[in-house]
Amino acid sequence: MNNQFERGTVNRLTEKERKAAFRRWTFVAGLGWNYETQQAPSVAFAMSKALRKIYPNDEDYIEAMDNHFKYFNITPQMGNLVLGATLAMEEQDGLKAKDAVQNLKISLMGPLSGVGDSLFWVLWPTIIGGISGYMALQGNPIGAIIWIIVSVALYFVKMALSNLGYSSGTKLITTLGDKINLLTDAASVMGLMVVGTLIATVIKIYVPLTFKAGEVSLSLQTDVIDKIMPALLPVLLTALVYWLLGKKWWTPVKVILLLVVVSLVGAYFGILGIQTA
Amino acid sequence: MLEILQDILIILLAGYMTWDNGSGVQVIGAWPACTGFVMGLITGDWNTSLVIGGTLQLMSLGVTALGGASIPEYGVATIVSIFIATRTGVSTGEAVAVGLPVGMLTLQLDVFVKYVNTFFAHWEQKLLHEKKFSQMQGAYILSVFIWSLKYVIPVTAVVIFGAPLVNLVTKAIPTWFTTGLEVAGNMLPVLGVGLLLHYMPVKKHLSFLIAGFVLTAYLNLPILGVALLGAAAGYIIYRNETEKTKNASYCLVNDMEGDDFDE
Repeated sequence: MNNQFERGTVNRLTEKERKAAFRRWTFVAGLGWNYETQQAPSVAFAMSKALRKIYPNDEDYIEAMDNHFKYFNITPQMGNLVLGATLAMEEQDGLKAKDAVQNLKISLMGPLSGVGDSLFWVLWPTIIGGISGYMALQGNPIGAIIWIIVSVALYFVKMALSNLGYSSGTKLITTLGDKINLLTDAASVMGLMVVGTLIATVIKIYVPLTFKAGEVSLSLQTDVIDKIMPALLPVLLTALVYWLLGKKWWTPVKVILLLVVVSLVGAYFGILGIQTA
Repeated sequence: MLEILQDILIILLAGYMTWDNGSGVQVIGAWPACTGFVMGLITGDWNTSLVIGGTLQLMSLGVTALGGASIPEYGVATIVSIFIATRTGVSTGEAVAVGLPVGMLTLQLDVFVKYVNTFFAHWEQKLLHEKKFSQMQGAYILSVFIWSLKYVIPVTAVVIFGAPLVNLVTKAIPTWFTTGLEVAGNMLPVLGVGLLLHYMPVKKHLSFLIAGFVLTAYLNLPILGVALLGAAAGYIIYRNETEKTKNASYCLVNDMEGDDFDE
């Protein structure tokens, strides 16, 4: 079917074809990640079949696909929302919507990633990760099982986001943005309380030193440090690491190396150790 | 025979995880707790798998690859640690001490694959312009297989050479060194916490951080209880803020402090 269609012919998608495009995105988002255009190859792959239907003319198709081969990067889940909207625009106006599609993608990927990253990649994994990590330490798989079940269920949320983007186009995303920001803020309160718990429980530092004065022996950890405040050393270490991470030079990997070196040196001199239960 | 079957399943799991974690699927992702659960199914050693998964999960909390950033691959670290622990019988701490460096080395492969993908992106676009539309899709699918190599290569190497090597090395390592690694393992969760605090509006909601700490450190409340109280507090704040926006004639603009999300 070489160019038997005139340029500018625009077809509509059936609901099935539309859903297939959204499903494709859900299953590939981020796999084509490269340093130049980031997620663009994944967008192109996800949209390739749907756009072929929309643009039966080869030249039109190539132009539309080129548009999607441009730089794009977003939280995968939020990508559903944006690509739902762009698909609706292209279906309606064809290549006339090309620039609008590009502008929409570029202008939404920042704010939506901010919200999406904090909800899907920071808050949720922190809360469920803390809970299931703890349960797993005790040999209990329930937390992990709940996590997996909820993740499977999230598939429907992603598809719903696509449909939301499709049905509302550019309009709703802006109003939705404010609502989601409030939700993120409220959820971060929950997240911060969990982080407070984590500081007290997950980070463990033990100083095995003891002082002996005649008959009396004084354990530095249980008799001095713990008397001042429970989990004092973890709090101090958290403050230090938080401060270090605020500096440009201190990447997470460097912080890991620092902690490993400090631990090895501490263990060699007997300053740091493992608490025997 | 059983071991070979397990080896194959473990390598397949590694390949699956690159797809799951790299796309929007996110069912087990590379989350250590979920990976530990699946590894438990494969190895049959529930307790070891879950304990190692839990350890690495808590260690990695908050360390997320936002915006395609490269971070240590905790999922690979989990697979490797559990494999080493179940095959050689070394302690959890020692197994993690082997797995974590492998996870950090995998990071280099992640960077490499993202470079390689650049060439694929150009190739796909070239095929598009040559009107080879189905080959364009094929090229993308090929790049996904290349992408999966970033986990498959290190895990395969460990599956083949890991156990005898670890047995050899653990005999030669002095005790202070293994103690040191365990001390580091206990401390490392601080990294995730530190990163989380940078993503979250910590200055705006510092009181809740303190509340969560006190509830656990002084009152020994379990984490689920704290999370529920947090949900209660979050609900109140959401209600209040929505009321405020309704009353105000303008829309509330995001004013979270300390949120420096990457795009």
